[in-house]
Amino acid sequence: MILFTFTIAIVFAGCILWFISKKITAPLREMNDIARLYAKGDFSKSVHVNSNDEIGQLANSFTYMAKELNQLENTRKQFISNVSHELRSPLTSIKGFIIALMDGTIPSNKRAMGSHVAVVLKEGNKDDSEKLDVSILGIEPGSFLEPSVVEGKPLTEGDNYQVTVNSSLKDKGIELGDILEIEGFDETLEVIGFVEGETFNHLPSIFIDLEPWRSIHFAAPGSDMGVESPVNAIMLQGDTIDTEKLANSIDGIEIATKKEAINGLPGYTAENGTIMMMLGFLLVISAFVIGVFFYVLTLQKANQFGVMKAIGASNGFLAKAIISQITLLATISIGIGIIFTYGTAAILPPGMPFALDSSLVFSYAIILLVVSVLSSLISVRRITKIDPLQAIGRVE
Amino acid sequence: MSGIQFNNVTKYYQDGAGTKLTILDNVSLNVQPGELVAVIGPSGSGKSTFLSIAGALLQASSGEVIINNTNLSKMSPKQVSQLRLDQIGFILQTSNLVPYLNVLDQLLVVKKMKGKITGADKHFAKDLLKGVGLESKLKKYPEHLSGGERQRTAIARAFMNNPDIILADEPTASLDSKRAFEVVELIANFVKSRNKAAIMVTHDERMLSYCDRVYHINDGKLVLVEH
Repeated sequence: MILFTFTIAIVFAGCILWFISKKITAPLREMNDIARLYAKGDFSKSVHVNSNDEIGQLANSFTYMAKELNQLENTRKQFISNVSHELRSPLTSIKGFIIALMDGTIPSNKRAMGSHVAVVLKEGNKDDSEKLDVSILGIEPGSFLEPSVVEGKPLTEGDNYQVTVNSSLKDKGIELGDILEIEGFDETLEVIGFVEGETFNHLPSIFIDLEPWRSIHFAAPGSDMGVESPVNAIMLQGDTIDTEKLANSIDGIEIATKKEAINGLPGYTAENGTIMMMLGFLLVISAFVIGVFFYVLTLQKANQFGVMKAIGASNGFLAKAIISQITLLATISIGIGIIFTYGTAAILPPGMPFALDSSLVFSYAIILLVVSVLSSLISVRRITKIDPLQAIGRVE
Repeated sequence: MSGIQFNNVTKYYQDGAGTKLTILDNVSLNVQPGELVAVIGPSGSGKSTFLSIAGALLQASSGEVIINNTNLSKMSPKQVSQLRLDQIGFILQTSNLVPYLNVLDQLLVVKKMKGKITGADKHFAKDLLKGVGLESKLKKYPEHLSGGERQRTAIARAFMNNPDIILADEPTASLDSKRAFEVVELIANFVKSRNKAAIMVTHDERMLSYCDRVYHINDGKLVLVEH
């Protein structure tokens, strides 16, 4: 009986012990399993313990730790994904950019600009005929792209719609302080200064700060294609710019030198070709005219040359005389020509797109002089053929 | 032997058919310094050709021309040109002055052909012009001179280089007889006083009294007519 009772008590105690130990170890085992999951990075499960004892507190701390870990992990993932997203595509560009900057391929002088063709009307004018076609050029005030004003004030930074305009607009009645309305745009422009000799595609230029230029050029919603601070071009200034290197080091950009850009202007090459052809013909024709002129002059004096030869003048003496006289004549006439050219330029209407580059004038003067002297050689050739015999037995 | 010598000089042209056209036929002549020799003949007789060969403007076909002991046929064209400048003074028909030069410069240009003009040259030129009576017209241009004055300028020019040989081609052609006499007298005086060998081609028989000898040329043959 005692044995029986003892056995029952042991079984009962064993059951209670098992039950109690089960109750204690179950959350521990669960925590153990979940900790393994956490270690693998799976934070989807959490420990469910409702007791308020030490184990319950441990479980709560465990859950808190998991939550914190989860958040950290998320931040890390987000950081990595963000960083890699930010870095992935521009990384190569940045690398190229840095190399280009370091070896001087990109000079320190670099400025953004944009152009916009518009029709403006002076405020108060109503007539269609008073509308003006202009190029609105957005630039950074104070940069090397800003032309100096000949009258009024230069541009200032800011969203103020103040502009400097080409002085050719003066002839269209534009004055300092005038307000210009842009067709299809609400804001108006205030003229604060005049610049000289600034046209783009034969249209007078209007200079404005980049920011308001963006508002004008990208007035239609979405026309900027979501690009932040869009510009038409970035101008680089420097004398060691290696365009090929630049093109190789930065992806997705188009590079043109000033010359290429000018040649790329619509109609520029065709216009220039015509003018160069006219210039070429002019030089050839003037070579002919000058050559024939001096040749006839020489022919008329053939008898005198014959006499000179008869009394002992050598061909060299006469050739020297001819060439020096023609050079002198040509120099004087070219000088007179240059004076007339500048005189004509002075009385041309101011709106005429006509510029006299003195180095160009000088180089063509030299070319013309060389042409004259070369054409005088025809006369010299003629002189060498004059026979002194013709002086003998000749009656004047 | 100085002066100018022609030894059996012949000049002929050959036309396309191979016919020889003889202009000068075996001409021999010797002119010494201080002598003025006249050659007369109708036009077409070969006077001008004769003078051209004497002046080294034409080459003889055969025979030799010797000027101051130099045989012309052995010289290059450039040497001939130099010899013409140094040793021969031409007085051409109707003077043939350069219209853009004044009287003094007409003379100086001859010096200029050789190189620089020196003060001595200017002095010499003025002397010569004084000798022909043009000292008051140094700055005049040919168009403002009379025919005689022009011819006198040409005479002075012929002497400018102090040549040894003076060749005159009808120097009186466009002058009236008074002027013509003056001019020939001047040439004769210059030739004598400066001791030059001179040949004057003319068809003006009035002038012959000033000449030492007179030759007649006809059909290319030279014949002495008067001594």
